[in-house]
Amino acid sequence: MKSLERKKAVWGFIFVLPAIVFFIIFNFYPMGYAFWISFHKKNLISLRPPKFVGFSNYIYLLQSSSFWNSVKATAIFALGTFVPIVIFSLIFAVLISTRKRFQKFLEMAYYSPAVLSSVVAATIWFLMFQPYGLANQFLNFLFNTNNIDYKWLSSEKMLVLATIIVYFWKYVGYYTIIFIAGIASIPKSVHEAAIIDGAGKWQDFLYITLPLLKPTTLLVSIMSMIQTLRTFSTQYFFVQSGAPIKPIEVITLNIYNTAIRDMRVGRASAMSIILLVIIMFFTYIQFKISRTEEISY
Amino acid sequence: MLKRTLTITADLIVWIFLIGFAIIILSPLVFMFAASIMPSEDILKVPFPWITSDFHWQNYWKALKGNDGKFLYLRTIFNSFIVASLTSLGTIFLSSLAGYGLAKFKFKGRMFVLMMILSTMMIPFEAIMIPLYLIVTKMGMQDTYAGLIVPLLLNAFGIFMMRQYLITFPEELLDAARIDGASEFGIYWKIILPNSLPAITTLAILTFRAQWDNLIWPLLIVQTPKKKTIPLFIIQFASEKYTDEGALMAAAAIASVPMLILFIKLSRYFLAGAELFAARKD
Repeated sequence: MKSLERKKAVWGFIFVLPAIVFFIIFNFYPMGYAFWISFHKKNLISLRPPKFVGFSNYIYLLQSSSFWNSVKATAIFALGTFVPIVIFSLIFAVLISTRKRFQKFLEMAYYSPAVLSSVVAATIWFLMFQPYGLANQFLNFLFNTNNIDYKWLSSEKMLVLATIIVYFWKYVGYYTIIFIAGIASIPKSVHEAAIIDGAGKWQDFLYITLPLLKPTTLLVSIMSMIQTLRTFSTQYFFVQSGAPIKPIEVITLNIYNTAIRDMRVGRASAMSIILLVIIMFFTYIQFKISRTEEISY
Repeated sequence: MLKRTLTITADLIVWIFLIGFAIIILSPLVFMFAASIMPSEDILKVPFPWITSDFHWQNYWKALKGNDGKFLYLRTIFNSFIVASLTSLGTIFLSSLAGYGLAKFKFKGRMFVLMMILSTMMIPFEAIMIPLYLIVTKMGMQDTYAGLIVPLLLNAFGIFMMRQYLITFPEELLDAARIDGASEFGIYWKIILPNSLPAITTLAILTFRAQWDNLIWPLLIVQTPKKKTIPLFIIQFASEKYTDEGALMAAAAIASVPMLILFIKLSRYFLAGAELFAARKD
């Protein structure tokens, strides 16, 4: 019997081994490498070995206006995107959950943009944001104005808003589905108890649904924020198609440009490490929250 | 009576709100398909003619042909299919294998391995992509399918999902197979794999879509036009001077149709994927 247990242990390890090797080569090693090279000067294509430069990549970044511009662009994008996403997906989910008919249809309609690839999403909106495109037409119709051009892709502020809209459109349905699952996981008996105690629908929502949704809300908030910090596609597409880069050069885009266009691998890696630390911090909070806020019925 | 009228009115308002937003959310999709069969003058016309009177089906032909007439898009679509399918197959195999190992076997350091794998969830791809690119280049996988596929073969979420799915699998079934003399790998192959189809399907769809959508990694890895994937082609097509807007929308529509068909056919797996992602606790 002992030997059987032992044999099983060996097999278990064999099954997990490919994964261990994979994560070491393609996750931990690159992470360590990024950390190491961030203290070096290295040109992307030069064969010369990296030269140790201490903290100078970090010092350079902290003094560089391009880096702070990216921090600002990323922060504005993240805040401007994840806050509306959380609010709207919560509202959509609560309302969709009250529907007795067509619930599935609504879920699918709201989720459908998440199925498209981000480049396709950016392409569609790129055409709609043209001076004679649908976005201007819609706003002119809404405010009953005549052919006002909102300069979606040329004015700096509107360009930021444009990238936010593309992202919001693509992902709001995704988070709506997560909230719907959260709402569905609240047992019916809790609602029934509240109704028996004389609570109206509104009170049931305010004092039962909403508090019990707190873990889901926190989770969606942090998850969507981390995702928005990683945004790349829309910004890259818009810049490639001729939009000004400055207002939308988010950190990921800056890392890419610094490494590939400027060929400064050390500097790009220092920026990567800063991004890594920021995202790890939020992920850690997310882990903590999902642990402490768990509700058992 | 008044209360009932109020309820009905509130109900109606909710319907109008939900359907209104559904229309807004769906309209860019409708725009894409409508514009994909329009002459380019119509696409930027005020007001936008949702249904064109002049069907330009040749837009699709133009998209496939490309501006240089080399039918690069066809090749690109093929590349995306290959990369996304192979990644999905590999992910299914390796994630279920590791998930099974972590769920059903006791070995020294199992918790450590699990924590190690889970901790990679904290590493955003964008933060390690540059060193990863250097490593993959050094391995000689630059500008190859392998370079696009191998570094994305596994992720912590897939393994975790498989582990959670398999952890409740009845132990007696496995032991019965062992007594019958089945090998450990045989048990995985003949019992575990066929019995985890729902989880595997969800994982396959998530992976396929992620690769179909991936921009940043192919951008780093691919050098020659023939190796491009769909997102890279569309970006280039959009930035070319002579690209017709209708053809651009046709290219976008072609890229979207396979995913939309999958979504309509297998919507519950897509939606389950989103829900599972939210449930990743423990």
